[in-house]
Amino acid sequence: MELAAIEDLVREGGARVSRRAFVDNDVYELELARVFARCWLYLGHDSQLREPGDYFTAYMGEDPIIVTRGDDGVISALLNSCQHRGMRVCRSDSGNSRYFRCPYHGWSYNENGKLVGIPRLKTGYFDELDRENLGLVRVPRITNYKGMIWANWDPEAPTFEEYLGGMKVYLDLMLDRIPGGLEAVEGVHKWTIDGNWKFAADNFVGDMYHVPVTHGSAHSIGLRQAWSDLGYQINPGNGHGFGGEYGGLSAAENETSYTPYIKQIRAHLAEQNGDYINKIVPLGHMTIFPNFSALDTLRFRTFRVWNPVGPEKMQVHAWAIFDKALPDEIKQSIRQQYIFTFGPSGVFEQEDGENWSQSTRSTRGWIARQYDLNYSMGAGHEEPVEKVLGSNLPGQMGGIWSEINQRGFYLRWQQLLKADSWNTIREEEKALGADK
Amino acid sequence: MNAVSSELLREVEQFLFHEARLLDERRFEEWLELFTEDTHYWMPIVSTRERGNREVATESELAYFDDTKETLRYRVKRLYTGLAWAEEPPSRTCRFLSNIQVEQNSDASLELSTRCNLMVYRTRLETDRDLFIGTREDVLRRVNDTWQVARRSITLTESVLDANNLSIFF
Repeated sequence: MELAAIEDLVREGGARVSRRAFVDNDVYELELARVFARCWLYLGHDSQLREPGDYFTAYMGEDPIIVTRGDDGVISALLNSCQHRGMRVCRSDSGNSRYFRCPYHGWSYNENGKLVGIPRLKTGYFDELDRENLGLVRVPRITNYKGMIWANWDPEAPTFEEYLGGMKVYLDLMLDRIPGGLEAVEGVHKWTIDGNWKFAADNFVGDMYHVPVTHGSAHSIGLRQAWSDLGYQINPGNGHGFGGEYGGLSAAENETSYTPYIKQIRAHLAEQNGDYINKIVPLGHMTIFPNFSALDTLRFRTFRVWNPVGPEKMQVHAWAIFDKALPDEIKQSIRQQYIFTFGPSGVFEQEDGENWSQSTRSTRGWIARQYDLNYSMGAGHEEPVEKVLGSNLPGQMGGIWSEINQRGFYLRWQQLLKADSWNTIREEEKALGADK
Repeated sequence: MNAVSSELLREVEQFLFHEARLLDERRFEEWLELFTEDTHYWMPIVSTRERGNREVATESELAYFDDTKETLRYRVKRLYTGLAWAEEPPSRTCRFLSNIQVEQNSDASLELSTRCNLMVYRTRLETDRDLFIGTREDVLRRVNDTWQVARRSITLTESVLDANNLSIFF
């Protein structure tokens, strides 16, 4: 794509986004190369890999990945595609195995991806095959951040913590809440939505505005009180963002057995860190650029990944998450609340799939594509977070109904599409810093 | 487990067909009345696993539905708000039940176990089409001369649901 065409995709500081961003094949191909093959992507939680030999399968962009735990405890991420004819060598969602044997011609790889078995090595290959270099392609960068497994294809990419940037202090408020860490409920919700993945990511990064309308039925049936205008959207930079109601997302919903527990934890955290904790914990809706999202509420917590499947389809992988140290009865409540409100049958999430598929479908037409989408809400009314919440907190923020985070998301997306490498982005950011 | 008479088999079949018809005709409030107060309505997730490994989630694991009568009531109430956009305009559904088997839990019991194959065809809006196929196991309880569903377990065959949502009942 021409640079000018990429410049055209996101304009006016992120307030206008071209609809081509959601349906155009050229944009999509560039996105696979410059966003998904470069950014830190969430694969799963380490509680999904308890024993040596445990594995699960995931996606990085459209690339199928096997995530394994070796005998040494080390977690590897491997391209799930045989080096001989490209066949998928692991076709299960999860399990325990010391090797992956390709069902096509029988090449076998161990849990670290090493090629350890080749049928007819002598009579077919005359023992001349370069076995050392024909292991499964390894994702070169992988990190276990407080139980979350993230991977990155690009050797030039910043470290995961640099990549988080200002988001780190906020994410830690979700991950370090009590000793013992987090755990995923066994199993993954997997379903497809006929919509562009960015509609989901931009909804979770900063869209409280849709909640009273899209999810208006939750109020009508008495699941929660009406929405107030008090809340926040925090853009810590690098395309990430989160937000919610003050007092925590679902503060106005009916209490569950989890609610008193999290309020107690919050009071403890607030003593240590400051009163702002009472406003923004639990963290609410969140996206870590590009396609990891979470909901951290007074009723449950969910992690999810929006895997792109072409420009007009995504495969959602979603987990229910709780603190490992919780009593079993509360864990079960969190699991049930998550299933009732989110996931494919969730009384909130049902409507999201409907919106994202119809937004995508209605954008495909030639005329529609001439008209940008509008992300201008709250533009020009952003403030430094520390000015509003104190405590030297990083980032800029807007009110509950601001689209500050979506603008940050699309500006970051455009920056990545334009740049030929992470080094170019580093140079740009250095120059910007020098200007200031 | 005991076989039941052909009269009882026919009665239970008619009950299940009636229930399916209520859903297809969107008579959700009447449908809800067919469930006991202590009902458990459950659709576990299914995973693709190597042969010999468990594919269907247990009750403490993830599910697509894990409802009590109370949460089912919320789901039904929601459909009448006019704000449940995934069902507004409503889906058109057609349910097929087959391979129905019925067993008496014990001679003295007022409960029956049923198993059937279930196919639900849904169309929405212009060209949205979903086909959900699976197995359903119910425990039916005799209450005031009629049957009620005391437990329902639905296992779809898919491990990745190829649908925007599950905004209908099974």
